[in-house]
Amino acid sequence: MTVDVKRTWREEPSAALFILSASFFFIVTTLVGLTNATKFVLPEFMGNIPWLEWGRLRPLHTNGVLFGWLLAVDMGLIFFVVPRLCGNKLWSEKLGILTVVLFDLVILGAVFAFPLGGNAGMEYAELPQYLAAVVVVVWVLFGLNVFATVLTRKHEKIYVSLWYIMGGVIWTAFVYITGNFVAHFASGINQANLNWFYVHNAVGLIFTPLGIGLAYYFIPKQSQSPLFSHKLSMVGFWSIAFIYVWTGAHHMINGPISQWLQTVSILFSVMLIIPVWTVIVNFFATVSGKWDRVRQDPVLKFLMAGTTFYTLTCFQGPMHSLRTVSAIVSKTDWIVGHAHMAVLGAFSFFAIAGVLHGLPRIVHKPLYSVRLANTSFWLLFTGGLVFFAGLWIGGFMQGLQWNDWTIPWIDTVKFMRPFWMTRLFAGMVVYAGIFLFFYNVVRTFSAPVPAPEQQARPEVRPVGA
Amino acid sequence: MFRTSEKNTGIFFILATAFFLVGGLLTTLLPAVIEKSWSTPTEGQQPYTEQQLRGKAIYQREGCWYCHTQQVRTLLPDTKRFGWRGVDAPISTPEEYVRDNPHMLGTRRIGPDLARVGGKYDTSWHRTHFKNPRDLVKGSMMAPFPWLFQNDEQEFKDLVSYVQTLGRNVNWRPKDDYER
Repeated sequence: MTVDVKRTWREEPSAALFILSASFFFIVTTLVGLTNATKFVLPEFMGNIPWLEWGRLRPLHTNGVLFGWLLAVDMGLIFFVVPRLCGNKLWSEKLGILTVVLFDLVILGAVFAFPLGGNAGMEYAELPQYLAAVVVVVWVLFGLNVFATVLTRKHEKIYVSLWYIMGGVIWTAFVYITGNFVAHFASGINQANLNWFYVHNAVGLIFTPLGIGLAYYFIPKQSQSPLFSHKLSMVGFWSIAFIYVWTGAHHMINGPISQWLQTVSILFSVMLIIPVWTVIVNFFATVSGKWDRVRQDPVLKFLMAGTTFYTLTCFQGPMHSLRTVSAIVSKTDWIVGHAHMAVLGAFSFFAIAGVLHGLPRIVHKPLYSVRLANTSFWLLFTGGLVFFAGLWIGGFMQGLQWNDWTIPWIDTVKFMRPFWMTRLFAGMVVYAGIFLFFYNVVRTFSAPVPAPEQQARPEVRPVGA
Repeated sequence: MFRTSEKNTGIFFILATAFFLVGGLLTTLLPAVIEKSWSTPTEGQQPYTEQQLRGKAIYQREGCWYCHTQQVRTLLPDTKRFGWRGVDAPISTPEEYVRDNPHMLGTRRIGPDLARVGGKYDTSWHRTHFKNPRDLVKGSMMAPFPWLFQNDEQEFKDLVSYVQTLGRNVNWRPKDDYER
């Protein structure tokens, strides 16, 4: 990339501010996760303080990471990517800044609301309704900006990233309103069904299209190779658009919900292999022949490791939905390992790569430290692997123990202790990686404008340098 | 049609919305209409009392539902494990949940399922357990809840009154053998 001393982040303030605030909430909300991992091992750790109770911090961790970090950073990266794919500027930076400010106020509100016991009572839709209403406003403003930018584009053809992003904007509106508002008008199993429709589509029709759409931009861009197959990306997009929405009930396999609905959700869960494989083949084939770059470049490392985790997580998903597999892994720590691989291993890796690629271009300065970014990658990657694998092994074995009802419940809890210890230490390693990423972001942003002789510094050092 | 959508955002918008609505409505609205059991309460089901509702709100506030499911699934180990004194726990049915808003079915079992916990333990057991679970169950990793005992144990009493209702839609114990 070229460095231009006359240009600053003020040309793209909405993208810059979203990325900065999201990175900040990333270190805050993962620290909450770490606190809760500690409570698994030391249940009385800070146990007399009501607002630090495990069950109050849990929604702060999940909602905070999902919305305060991942959704926010995706929005920032979308503000960066969309104008570049349309050949114009963001439709309104003022509107963009308003979007950032309102959304950050919601997340700040959540940071206080959850510890004080404000919990709407449904998973991932725990945000008190007055805050959820502001999220809807934010999303309308955001969608307006995205669609207006696309409609005033200079290039006629819409690249696949834009389909995913536009699809994500439309579906998020439906999914979010269903989960946070419509579901409250139902009760019992109807409500549970709507709740899991929301929970699953939050992953499948919010974070998947946004994350995949961004990766479809960053992977060809960073590896400097054309997308492997345009047609494949099209098959992938329309098949996920059709299939994903049917799978919500697979959260209640073997539960008190109609068998036919379980079967429908299983069929569609298994069919998800189609869109997933189109994405994976496309991503890997695009970088094929460029793997030497992956070795040096932290951005490509995050992208390709993210794709690998995406492959694994999307193979697990359909398998979990089978009745027999569900009877073992459902409700265990296996699922926690699976969920962390999806949100941290796949979509956060894509987002981190996007930030490492995009932020230098937004601030018109080189990345503060490529080395630090590489260190950050290895911490997140190894820590993450141990984290996920530990919970799979422990969770699967716990699931088998649950199926033998002669084993007392408490023995299956005691059995998990070493695995929870492993998760805590692996979580610390992951957190170190996240913190270094945050530090890198802040230093890149705040670094003085480089002197002209430093500007030639390449982003990626050649081998042996 | 798909080719046109590559250039035309209008067609794109309509297709993406239509695909979503087909799957969405057929998996949420259709069952709500045809599955009568989802909205018909079990016979003789009593609405929650005011105290029980206060207790349920505490259950919701403290996030009890993150660690405890409320569903005996159609799996033999569930009925055996969550039974009591030699009697298997009846499988949970949709009718039992009709009065629950928000529902508390849960997704994770860090602690045992509570769908049939009502009447298994008496108030004094719960008192000791909520103050410090490890006093009764060695190796438990449940959080202590000392703040429920302020103001003459009001919150504790409310919570227990709710917990004792769980699973009692069905009279499943011989000779009404329930603790109070």
